[in-house]
Amino acid sequence: MTSLFKTWKTLREKGIMGINERNSDYVLRYNARHLYPLVDDKILTKQKAIDNGIHVPPMYGIIDSEKQISRIRDIIGSHRDFVIKPSQGAGGDGIMVIADQFEGYYRSAGGRLLSLEDIEFHLSGILSGIYSLGGHRDRALIEYRVIPDPIFSAISYEGVPDIRIIVLKGYPVLAMLRLPTRQSGGKANLHQGAIGVGVDLATGITLDGTWLNKKIQTHPDTTNPVRGVELPFWEGFISLATRCYELTGLGYIGVDMVLDKDLGPMMLELNARPGLNIQIANDTGLSARCQAVEAEIERLEKQGVNAPTPDQRLAFCQNTFANAECAALAKELAEQRAAQEAADEEAAIRAASKPGADDPSVDAGIRVPQSGNPPPAQQ
Amino acid sequence: MKGVKLHVKVLAAALLLLGAAATAWQIFALNIPVSAETTEPVWVIDTKISFNAREKTPVKVQMYLPPSWSKFITLDESFIARNYGVNIDELEQNRRAVWSARRAEGQQQLFYRLMLTQRSNTRLSNEEPGPQFRESPNLKGVEKVAVEALLKPIREHSADIETFIREAIKLINDSSNDNARLLLRNDYSQLSKSRVLELLLSSAHIPVEQVHTLRLLSSGTQQPELWMRSYNGQRWLYFNTETGVFGLPDDRIVWWTGRDPLVKVDGGRQVKVEINSTRQTMNSIMLAQSINESRQENSWALSMYSLPLQSQQTFEIILMIPIGVMLILFLRNIVGIETLGTFTPVLIGLAFRETQVVWGIILFTTISALGLGLRSYLEHLHLQLLSRLSVVLTFVVIVMALISVLGHQLGLDRGLSIALFPMVILTMSIERLSIVWEERGGLHSLKVGIGTLIAATLAHLMMSYAPWIYFVFTFPGVLLMLMAIMLAMGHYRGYRISELFRFKAMLKDGQ
Repeated sequence: MTSLFKTWKTLREKGIMGINERNSDYVLRYNARHLYPLVDDKILTKQKAIDNGIHVPPMYGIIDSEKQISRIRDIIGSHRDFVIKPSQGAGGDGIMVIADQFEGYYRSAGGRLLSLEDIEFHLSGILSGIYSLGGHRDRALIEYRVIPDPIFSAISYEGVPDIRIIVLKGYPVLAMLRLPTRQSGGKANLHQGAIGVGVDLATGITLDGTWLNKKIQTHPDTTNPVRGVELPFWEGFISLATRCYELTGLGYIGVDMVLDKDLGPMMLELNARPGLNIQIANDTGLSARCQAVEAEIERLEKQGVNAPTPDQRLAFCQNTFANAECAALAKELAEQRAAQEAADEEAAIRAASKPGADDPSVDAGIRVPQSGNPPPAQQ
Repeated sequence: MKGVKLHVKVLAAALLLLGAAATAWQIFALNIPVSAETTEPVWVIDTKISFNAREKTPVKVQMYLPPSWSKFITLDESFIARNYGVNIDELEQNRRAVWSARRAEGQQQLFYRLMLTQRSNTRLSNEEPGPQFRESPNLKGVEKVAVEALLKPIREHSADIETFIREAIKLINDSSNDNARLLLRNDYSQLSKSRVLELLLSSAHIPVEQVHTLRLLSSGTQQPELWMRSYNGQRWLYFNTETGVFGLPDDRIVWWTGRDPLVKVDGGRQVKVEINSTRQTMNSIMLAQSINESRQENSWALSMYSLPLQSQQTFEIILMIPIGVMLILFLRNIVGIETLGTFTPVLIGLAFRETQVVWGIILFTTISALGLGLRSYLEHLHLQLLSRLSVVLTFVVIVMALISVLGHQLGLDRGLSIALFPMVILTMSIERLSIVWEERGGLHSLKVGIGTLIAATLAHLMMSYAPWIYFVFTFPGVLLMLMAIMLAMGHYRGYRISELFRFKAMLKDGQ
């Protein structure tokens, strides 16, 4: 009993947020109920994001009635791979990922072969609402299958890793990279067994991780250390997340984003009740950070600034929540990169003078966003 | 946000106060027992009047009855007499019953039964004030001299009416006092003493009257005892002329006042009056109920008891549901146990009322397991949700019927009670369990299932705990207090106990 009390006290001191606190002080307080459909319905989120110029996985089609299930072939068309999602599903339930086709069968990301009837049955299940939050009728969404950027291959097992950033009133407070594991069946949901890796807000360099409420240093499947990886396009991700506040008007959201091999950073979905294990991944209390942001908002309001720009908010968070260790590492990596670039340039000059040589390989581990070559925009 | 929090606090406090006040009012002001087991003494006083009727003359029997203002509450009063009409007259200070018959022959018996209870809250009896002044009687000769001689030392030794009376009683009982002996005419009976005392006091302008009292004995026959009383402006002073005791003991009731005898019979001879009292015990809540009924007041005091009996039984169950709900709230928000659905455990707990806990758990587990098996088989048939649910529901009904039949043939009557299981709830539980199983794995669904059963069992135990059922049913104000707690819990922001384990990893410093 005393040890429980001690645990309680320590958690409070570290500013760890509990479910009750999240629900009453953040979700209920900052998220107006009438805005929920926007995040609970993936189709609405997607349309709103497209209208605001935020990149999302391209949509192939929507099925909203039993009659339309037979249209699935037309919707799939010539795409070899695709994803079927319940529009109002929660926690990644009911998502079917088709990676390939084989002799009229569809191969799921997990390797199972599915017939067209299997897919139609799944669609009918989605429509009848078994995956939706309230159990009411739902729509199915068929969209582009994200192919993860190879940067993650070293620390990921199958599936698509994604990046979750919690944004309070437009201030990004905590970020986490979610890596699927064998146990999670390729899904990036922590409660299904995926691992979460904390990410430094300022540099996008990964910290330690969490798996099934434990702290971990290496990926359980690949045994590679998860720490110290610099996420590419980090500025893009975090500014995208920051702008989602203006997009939805919801004050407390989790923004889920992916990095596609070809299409670059994309927003996958929004979550009005983001989970709390991100705290273990970052070894940081969410309450502590949220309170810092709330203090800043109050300070700005006193100065008469009621609507700081996304850039101002981002700068505040990146300054306040920066991790010193990551900053040092980032500096080191930047130096390495500069040296590499210089060496590449030298090699290029040498190659130019020596015809027939191969182009330098790009998959050297870390992809660097190259100015003048932005990721292709979709729709 | 701050405003809302304050709002909730104020609302919760108001509800708590209101509920507590209502409950306190019932307990302390109306003296409604806190426990169903409380019993209280009830006295039954039987009065039997027997006499021989004169032939061919109408019979009229007058008897004084205890007044309704007594500190005891009349539960029941009955008059039993063959061929007699009964009327009750309300006189100035007394109540009087009049039996009358045009013709009666031979031995007659009249019965009067009174049931009394003393309730501590009704100590404030609403006695009517009496006169404070009295004309002194016209005395002549020796009597006048004797009275004046007696009054002089009494006046000197007394400060107020009470001490005056005390002194007077002392002197009258003093057999060596010649003046007193003269006035008593050597008759030291109680009646005579009372007469002289009245004479003395009225000469001093103090009104007194005779009161006839009865002692509440646990059993036995007795005669009314003569006391006297005088009104001092604020209250009646009772005193016994024989013993000089002041103040009516708690176990004495006033039967009638005045000089008339208890019973007066016209048209009868050989009148005999027998008074018997016995003590019985009675369940307090039933007592409170019958008092309530007989008084026709405070109809809100025991509002639930005024419902028809069948509704009462229903409400005994319904009023306990908030307690179960409160438990679920506690288990989910403070402990952090996962359950199927929000209030499913409460409904399952209600079903346990009929099946008993152990059987309930066995039946629930059996049906859920069979249902899950069917559900996973149906999964292969690619049915739509609604038809799948319908099939599972029908299956559940069939299994329940089978268990009943089987149980009955094996002589296990418990098997029959399964019919009260909520089928729809079971079906939905099976559906939810199977989805949890598919998505979170068997272990998680087992955890959720066990959590549900634990919550249901606890809810059942709390909802069927007889003293609580009685308390909530008798004091529905408790529900307001529960509501206050629920409101307050709506702003509970502390950790759930399960979270203390969930975030255990955060205790170790990463650095």
